[in-house]
Amino acid sequence: MEQNPRPRTVLETLGEEIIRIVTPVSICMLSVVILVSILNGDSSSAGDLPITTMATIAYKESSSDSTWDKLKGALLNSLVFVAVVTVVTFLLVLLFYLRCTKFLKYYMGFSAFLVLGFMGGEIALLLIQDFSFPVDCITSAILLFNFTVVGVLAVFMSKMAIFVTQAYLVVIGMLVAYWFTLLPEWTTWVLLVAMALYDLAAVLLPGGPLRLLVELAMSRDEDIPALVYEARPVINDSGPSGGVVRRRVWREGRGDTDENQGLSTNTRSGLSSDSTPGTHLSVGIGEHEMNLADAEEGRVTGGDSELTTPLVQHINVQMNSSENAVPSENLVLEGIGLGSSGAIKLGLGDFIFYSVLVGRAAMYDFMTVYACYLAIIAGLGVTLMLLAFYRKALPALPVSIMLGVLFYLLTRLLLEDFVVQCSMNLLMF
Amino acid sequence: MDNQSGTDRYSNPAAASILPTSSTSPGTSSSRRRLGPAEWPTIDGPLGLSHDDSLEHARRFFKLGFLCLPFLWAVNCFYFWPVLRHPNAHDSHPDLRRYLVGSAIGFLLFAAILSSWALTFAIGGEHLFGDVWKELVMYNVAEKYGLTGWI
Repeated sequence: MEQNPRPRTVLETLGEEIIRIVTPVSICMLSVVILVSILNGDSSSAGDLPITTMATIAYKESSSDSTWDKLKGALLNSLVFVAVVTVVTFLLVLLFYLRCTKFLKYYMGFSAFLVLGFMGGEIALLLIQDFSFPVDCITSAILLFNFTVVGVLAVFMSKMAIFVTQAYLVVIGMLVAYWFTLLPEWTTWVLLVAMALYDLAAVLLPGGPLRLLVELAMSRDEDIPALVYEARPVINDSGPSGGVVRRRVWREGRGDTDENQGLSTNTRSGLSSDSTPGTHLSVGIGEHEMNLADAEEGRVTGGDSELTTPLVQHINVQMNSSENAVPSENLVLEGIGLGSSGAIKLGLGDFIFYSVLVGRAAMYDFMTVYACYLAIIAGLGVTLMLLAFYRKALPALPVSIMLGVLFYLLTRLLLEDFVVQCSMNLLMF
Repeated sequence: MDNQSGTDRYSNPAAASILPTSSTSPGTSSSRRRLGPAEWPTIDGPLGLSHDDSLEHARRFFKLGFLCLPFLWAVNCFYFWPVLRHPNAHDSHPDLRRYLVGSAIGFLLFAAILSSWALTFAIGGEHLFGDVWKELVMYNVAEKYGLTGWI
């Protein structure tokens, strides 16, 4: 007869959940920093994109402008960008309202294909050129093709290996974040702040698109089609039928909270993993009730009530990288939520913007990278705690981005001088 | 019985957060009870597919892999690793195992061919190929067609 192992404490379960979300965020940030230092290192002054993108449509920064001009231009750019994102998110809400989920899913797969195929291919090419790697075109074509197709399948299908899906989401986040770091400096920073403010508004205001989307999804008990990273849920073996109970939970969908002795499966569909930053941070709890119990639950897709869909929804993330391309929206998904099995879900937009911040910091110096990384992780922790406290949809971007920007400025203006002077005079460090 | 529960209590509680290694619950069918780790066909354990869906899934990936997609075969093998590891314990369709073994063989074959070609290309270099090497190598191809000008 099996006896339960020592019941896990809140700290263990919670800690493990948090680690499972902090790890991929850190990996994404690390890879962007590495990419940036390899590829942008030599051309740090040439921060201008040769192509007009959606984010530089209003103003193209050049290094000869005065600070005030740069600031004005950056503000204009960010306004345009945020406006486009808002329009697109409202469009998404409309489509979701009209139940065009198939279309959205296909669009998401298509944008994943674009990001992985073209962006991934370009970055791979740049790396090959940089290192003069003697690989031939046939091999690289086959590898790229494989990589892209499996990635699209991972995004599309819900029944892929969890690890593969998670890896591909991190890669997509990394590629998009790298693209953002190619924007001019002032534009990037102002854009980050603007997106953080937008996130705040879209999730908390009553008319905000993300909030509408979440409410729609909740009322219909459906999944939002979006790109979301879902951490693997912490499975407690504390019950003799741990595994079976979990499966039964999924089979019956949400709403059977009473049946499951304290399992935190609630029916509410989680966050919007959609286009805009909506973070519903829900913490999955194990089988022992804890106060954080009703985290919003994710969605179990209608058809497959039997299985969790580790990937909850797919949203199209598409970057407009050339003016000739079809003006694709920048549906960036940001949000933390709870999967149907109680795991934390974090929208891809959060990954992207965190990595953009750290990548930009890397373009200055590594000291700023360390400071910004710590700030972002701290912000993420604060957001998680706030979510557990308030138990409703909360935006994930504002706290981290504000802390990150603050730390960047402080490091660049104050800390660097201090550290350099101390080192030069052999005082410390 | 008490001793057993005692030792269980001190066993590592974090051991099986991914695969329910000790979750051979009395509710499952008797044929699965001796499976232990192979109770679930997928590597995700209870989060993955059920036995019935696995066959469909494995078959689809096996067939799709023939479109010059050996990576799909690799993912297939990775996903159903428990089935490959414990061939005897599984009671679900023997077809499943056949698809997996097929995928594994296909992937290994393709990987062998591709890597031998790539290594020959990389190591042989210009001595072996002559001028054709310059035509085929990726960075020259990229320059010729201006592939990196998009970003």
